[in-house]
Amino acid sequence: MFRLVAVVICGVITISACSSSPESTPTPGGDAPIQTVRMITHESFVLPPSFVSDLRDQGIDLQITSTGDAGTLTASAILAAGVPTADLLFGIDNTLAVRATGESVFESYTSPEIVSVLPEFAQDTHGGYLTPIDFGDVCINSDNGWFDQNEVAIPTALEQLPEIANLLVVEDPATSSPGLAFLLATVARFGTEWPAYWEALRDGGVAVAGSWTDAYYSQFTLSGGDRPLVVSYATSPAAEVVFAEDASVTEPTTSVLVDSCYRQVEYAGVLAGAENPSGARIVIDTLLSKKVQEDIPLNMFVYPVRADATLPTVFTSFTPVIQTSTSLPPDQVNEELSSLLDTWGTVMNR
Amino acid sequence: MTDSILQVRDLMIGYEKALTPALNFTVGPGEILVVVGESGCGKSTLLSTLAGVNPPLSGEILLGGKNLSGVPIHKRNIGLVFQEPLLFPHLSLIDNIGYALRASGESNNSARLRATELLDWVGLSEVTGQKTWQLSGGQAGRVALARAIAAKPAVLLLDEPYSALDPETRLRLLADVKNLVTHEGIPTIHVTHDRSEAELLATRTLTW
Amino acid sequence: MLAQHLPRGLKWLWVIPALLLLTFLIYPLVKLAATAWSAEMLSELTDSTLWEVALLACGQAALSVGLSLLVGIPIARVLFTYQFRGRGFILALVTVPFVLPTVVVALGFRSLFGDAIPNGLVLVVLAHVYINLAVVIRLIGAQWSTVDPRMEVTAATLGANPFRVFTTITLPALRNSIVLAASVVFIFSFSSLGIVVVLGDGSGTRTLEQVLLRSTSVLLDFPAALAAAILQLVVVSLVFVISARVSRDEPRATVVLERKQISGRKTRLFVMLTCIVALIVVVSPIASILWSSISSSGGITLKWWSELVSTSNTRIGSPIAALGRSLGLALGTAVLAAILGGAIAIAVMSKKGFVVTLALIPLGISAVTLGLGILLAFSRGSLDLRGTGALIPITHALIAVPIVVAVATPSLRNVDPRRYFVALSLGAAPMRAWWTAFGTVFGGVMLAAGGLAAAVSLGEFGAATLLSRTDSPTVPVQIARLLSKPGESAFATAAVLSVILIILTMTLLLIVDRTASRKVLT
Repeated sequence: MFRLVAVVICGVITISACSSSPESTPTPGGDAPIQTVRMITHESFVLPPSFVSDLRDQGIDLQITSTGDAGTLTASAILAAGVPTADLLFGIDNTLAVRATGESVFESYTSPEIVSVLPEFAQDTHGGYLTPIDFGDVCINSDNGWFDQNEVAIPTALEQLPEIANLLVVEDPATSSPGLAFLLATVARFGTEWPAYWEALRDGGVAVAGSWTDAYYSQFTLSGGDRPLVVSYATSPAAEVVFAEDASVTEPTTSVLVDSCYRQVEYAGVLAGAENPSGARIVIDTLLSKKVQEDIPLNMFVYPVRADATLPTVFTSFTPVIQTSTSLPPDQVNEELSSLLDTWGTVMNR
Repeated sequence: MTDSILQVRDLMIGYEKALTPALNFTVGPGEILVVVGESGCGKSTLLSTLAGVNPPLSGEILLGGKNLSGVPIHKRNIGLVFQEPLLFPHLSLIDNIGYALRASGESNNSARLRATELLDWVGLSEVTGQKTWQLSGGQAGRVALARAIAAKPAVLLLDEPYSALDPETRLRLLADVKNLVTHEGIPTIHVTHDRSEAELLATRTLTW
Repeated sequence: MLAQHLPRGLKWLWVIPALLLLTFLIYPLVKLAATAWSAEMLSELTDSTLWEVALLACGQAALSVGLSLLVGIPIARVLFTYQFRGRGFILALVTVPFVLPTVVVALGFRSLFGDAIPNGLVLVVLAHVYINLAVVIRLIGAQWSTVDPRMEVTAATLGANPFRVFTTITLPALRNSIVLAASVVFIFSFSSLGIVVVLGDGSGTRTLEQVLLRSTSVLLDFPAALAAAILQLVVVSLVFVISARVSRDEPRATVVLERKQISGRKTRLFVMLTCIVALIVVVSPIASILWSSISSSGGITLKWWSELVSTSNTRIGSPIAALGRSLGLALGTAVLAAILGGAIAIAVMSKKGFVVTLALIPLGISAVTLGLGILLAFSRGSLDLRGTGALIPITHALIAVPIVVAVATPSLRNVDPRRYFVALSLGAAPMRAWWTAFGTVFGGVMLAAGGLAAAVSLGEFGAATLLSRTDSPTVPVQIARLLSKPGESAFATAAVLSVILIILTMTLLLIVDRTASRKVLT
């Protein structure tokens, strides 16, 4: 009986092991032996196809594990600081980066590819620990069809929102990353006066959703809801075109309220104590290579940081890079985050 | 005691098909009608039809001249004791016996008083504090009977009671039953497949 | 009661679940606690908002329990005491909400009631009732099928009206399962996350789980997270202590009775009405998902379904592959959970109560917390299990264990030990005699445990998102990823996958119900 149980348990573990173990690929040209590099990232990471094949060509077998959202990813990295569960991490953003670099989660590395990165990001390395890979903006999206039909003017400035707050759905910053970004956008704009702005939004009847999914897919008018303004991403209009059911849809039916944007940068870093730091560095260089950077937009719907990366047409025509995007200094975010959320909760009565 | 005469007229019982021919009989005070038959012949169905658990296919049941058609189980005042004692396990013996009195709105104290008398009457006063499942089969059977009697039923229906017990205990209990119903004058219908039992108890027998 | 009837070969079998639970449950949790431990934690524990949240969550959970019982008990009565055509189908159907990913349930509720019921608390409670209906129906129904209906008839002949029969006879007979179901629903609602995040609209509907998520993922405040986790564990343990106190230790009916045929117009009406209500309640949120899977801005379309096969959509990976992966994991989980369930069953027989207590711990710990702990504990050095892909089935099996325990314990306590001696006296060797006496029940328990665990595994999201490899998501993880992206096709594909998940779960439950009930009944 004991033996039977033991055999079955082992069998189960082996079956699942086989089903998910990576296939070993022969090394091209037979030069360098295949080395394994482990990367952790967040659940919304989408693999650009060129990424894995480029790494294979360099003799690297990349094993990727996703760990919740960006916050959970950062949390698990901090908990495992010094004895990491992987060699590198991709997907930590500018809101949380300070906490992680403060806890010596990463070891410093400067990629040679950094010279090709747009100057405003090349300096943004959090003391040499992190390498910027992509960036995007959180902005208010509007359903143009609704505004046309109801003959209401689409707002163009944050200041106009309180009087039409009953048309807007935002996400709870305590549970949603775009929600947090939008809160930070208002803090960047209004400084210490931001609670008054939110009081005005509250009195105007703003809706607060628990998650982006709920806001975009059930409260936004585009999806059948009753709010024609939603906090989403600058690239959402382009995504609506790329992933429309009807192939004849060539122009987005939504647009971005440029004045409301908050910049998010995603970084990669070699984890301190990694088993294969040199392999991790190669992976970071590959993330910055022109080919992978050009693959990033249509897979992850963010912009590449590399200056010479060509953007796909759908991006250049419908989703220009937001020039007026704001962001707060990382140290300020780190210090004030907790009290910002508390104050927001009090103002919004949540 | 004319109001406790049970009259059955042209009664057909069963679920979709009739299990019996049309039945006609009367049971009066002090009488024990024993229904004898093989298992599956509809004896138990007859009792549950009389008690109101399932409706008759046709015919009438009258109690003291009143038609029972449409009268729910709890308003018929007909006692029913099954093969197993089916004591309520979450209640004490006293509360089992006093159940009917509580249901009819008597106070807890007077119900308990009466139940204690009945327990004594069936000869079980020494087991008062025990749990239902600690009783022997014979003891549980007596409690079940006392519980049915406590309701002062107009008619008592016994569905092969005690048939799970050993013959000796069973016969002793059946003799007790006979004394009891004759003494109380409750019209009784007793169902069994055992002819010797029928001979022992019956004032009349019924077969089909 | 049964301890002395165990053959020697099985006496020590309880060690296996105990060891497994210690290794994969206690060790990771201790590890996680040790990593996050600090003196600050203690001061966080005295934070008044934490206690406020706990108190509010208790109120919300109590409401959810009350309403679940109110809706679930009549359905349990109909499904477990009457025999009629379509019974198995409805039973499988009411179990589906329990294993649906919460995101899917939440969106279904939002689109159904979003405008009609603006109150977050009401929405949250309704969603909790929806999800936990299966817990109430199955746990209480299982006990109901052992309650002799003649007991109620006897009470009625003693002059008790139907209401009195129900309150003084039926409910007390169901007491233990009601207490168990109430505790499980309380704990699930108390530690709910997904539903509360999407449907809750303010401070009145917060849970400690939400505080925990905010502390770990937004504020990176680990002492606060640990304080919330500890408080949650304390409340959950309290619930179990109370439930153990309240449930009665009396010998229970041992036989699952034949279900009644429906007779009489009133009964037929009652059964039909209850089934119709159950169908409407369960199906309406599902129907809105089904609708999304076949509709688009251009009208009704089967495009989303046909695209699933062509897998042109590289950005989400192949849905077919995800299905295969989910099914494989469900199979692994089923085998593990069946073994664990069987071994726990033996622990129950050997009166090793602490194993049962251990097995119930996952109820009070969120899948995410457990996943994080397992991640930390088994990612390095000699204990590196990550590459083996065994972590998800192990975690899913652990999550399913409380359900296994709930299923196993009552039916095993009901086994008549005399059967063992009869077999022995007929000359069977101890092991054989044991199997003759308990084998069928035991087999039924293992089958039910495995089947339920597989269903849980199919729909589980929290731990899977922590432990699955990015290039190989499970179906619920893929659904969640799709739902976090804009675009009509993303939403529709998520709906298609949800519908497939519902069909798979129902098929699984139908098979398990058929085979398991046949095993227990014959």
